[in-house]
Amino acid sequence: MNRKNRIILSCVYWAFVAYVFVPLILMVLMGFKDSNFIGFPIRSYTLEWYTGVFDDAETISAFVYSVAIAVLSTVISILVGTWIAVLLEGRSFWGRAVVFGMTVLPALIPGIISAIAFRIYARYLGIEPGMGAIIWAHAVHNVPFVVLVVMARLSTLPKSQIEAARDLGADPLIAFLRITFPYLVPAIMGASIFCLLLSFDDFVRSFFLGGYEPTLPVLIFAKLKSGMSPEINAIATVALVLTAVIGVWAERFTRRMNKDS
Amino acid sequence: MTYEASARKERGAAEKAPADRTFWGRLSAWAPYRALAAMATASPRRQFLILAIFPILWVLTQHLGPMLQMLRVSLTDAYPVAPGVEQHFTFDSYLRFFQDPLFWMPFFRTLIFAGVFTFCTLILTYPVAYFLARHVSRKNQMLFLLLLLIPFWVGEIVRTYAIMILLGNTGAVNLVLRWIGLIDRPIPFMYTSFSMGVGIVYLTALYMLLPLYSALEKLPKSMNEAAADLGAGAWTRFRRVTLPLTLEGISSGCTLVFLISTGFYATPVLLGGPSTTVFAETIAGFFHVAGDEWPTGAAFAVIMFLAALGISAAFQRLMSALRKGDTK
Repeated sequence: MNRKNRIILSCVYWAFVAYVFVPLILMVLMGFKDSNFIGFPIRSYTLEWYTGVFDDAETISAFVYSVAIAVLSTVISILVGTWIAVLLEGRSFWGRAVVFGMTVLPALIPGIISAIAFRIYARYLGIEPGMGAIIWAHAVHNVPFVVLVVMARLSTLPKSQIEAARDLGADPLIAFLRITFPYLVPAIMGASIFCLLLSFDDFVRSFFLGGYEPTLPVLIFAKLKSGMSPEINAIATVALVLTAVIGVWAERFTRRMNKDS
Repeated sequence: MTYEASARKERGAAEKAPADRTFWGRLSAWAPYRALAAMATASPRRQFLILAIFPILWVLTQHLGPMLQMLRVSLTDAYPVAPGVEQHFTFDSYLRFFQDPLFWMPFFRTLIFAGVFTFCTLILTYPVAYFLARHVSRKNQMLFLLLLLIPFWVGEIVRTYAIMILLGNTGAVNLVLRWIGLIDRPIPFMYTSFSMGVGIVYLTALYMLLPLYSALEKLPKSMNEAAADLGAGAWTRFRRVTLPLTLEGISSGCTLVFLISTGFYATPVLLGGPSTTVFAETIAGFFHVAGDEWPTGAAFAVIMFLAALGISAAFQRLMSALRKGDTK
């Protein structure tokens, strides 16, 4: 009985793996099709679409734009998120629960509503739609994830180390920079990669806060609305490979970190 | 010599030691820095204020601010305000929602779709999580899980496009069905609620899988063995032991997936058709056109947010009531 269960369940698991992977594999394959027309069967193959991606100025500039936005918004998220985490972890003060609730709020708001709220607020603050507005929206949206990751790491920091540093004459800032911060580095690295990917993949906020220059997901969306073509497959595949590689690397990184602590 | 005295002596020695060898030593010996540090740490209260003031201002203005501003705009009659036009307080934008089925139909459709898709995600991922937590050895668990995580790093648009290729009239599913001989003309999967469902479940499955997996992993095997010893069959064991004890994971997974599902914009636009317009598209419509529609868009976003949050809260309350009922 148990054996039969096991076989059925493993079939379900592998079917799920197929559901998760097959669409992406097909998408990559379709980028090699030697025709303008999307669809199976694929009769002849070409590398033209993939080489075309690297010659297309529009795609390259969208890619660079997305990476720049991801990097800058991540820097802001990390600085702010770490600061909030240091305030919230292991400290009890009046209103802490309220501050924590407000901290995680951006992560709980459904995508479209968060994009609309940012759009209205950007207008209110006088931020023009464009790079600055996207960076700001991504940064705010990603702060909760940084706070949660850093708080988790901070909770395992031995208090005695800080006390020892203070006993030896370090003031709180120096104790933070020399003891707490180096201890947090793995968590901060993990959170950074997570933020980079969230920002790079984000569509809805980039779409509503963007100016005329598209980020990569917005460019793919715009191209899709005017029709499917293997060119889009090639662009999407480049984005896919990049995010998947960084994601896997981050996964290994965080696992090593968990082993250390 | 007492411990106290020796500690004091050591501290004195540390202060006297040449502190300018390292950057940190030089910094703490630098007079302006010392003055600043002394001022900042004069009292625990002041130290706390310096630490707390920025985070609190940030969450108030950046996290709460956008939502409050959206609420405020939804209660006015014109935004952004054109020069020479006066802004008035009004509930009109909210009333507009009830006046036209073009508005409230997509709203209820979104909530129903999100509920159904959440349920489908649960049914689909529960056996997968169960298999991972129960039938895979500890050593392989992370590997099997990691395998599933990889595709989820890929963005929303790219994965939506992958589903378009899978389900199109000349897509892989139709090709395979035709090849087997089940059909002789393609089934139009695309631009229906079905294609939208496949896409949204594809995008949200991970958010369900992880809470379920961690709930199942925590569950001790001995519970099931005890139930088996007492004569419970496989189905009874699942229904009376495993399911009640993983309700918490189910509840948090469903809440997360439901909230995310209500917020999708690009996926319904690309995978859905005219008969599956969701509320996100309705809301977005008000922001593509002239400025005076913004208050209506904001009001609709507020309605959507409150509804999604309300349903999630009610669901969580229901689940915790169920949990308490079972442990009694």
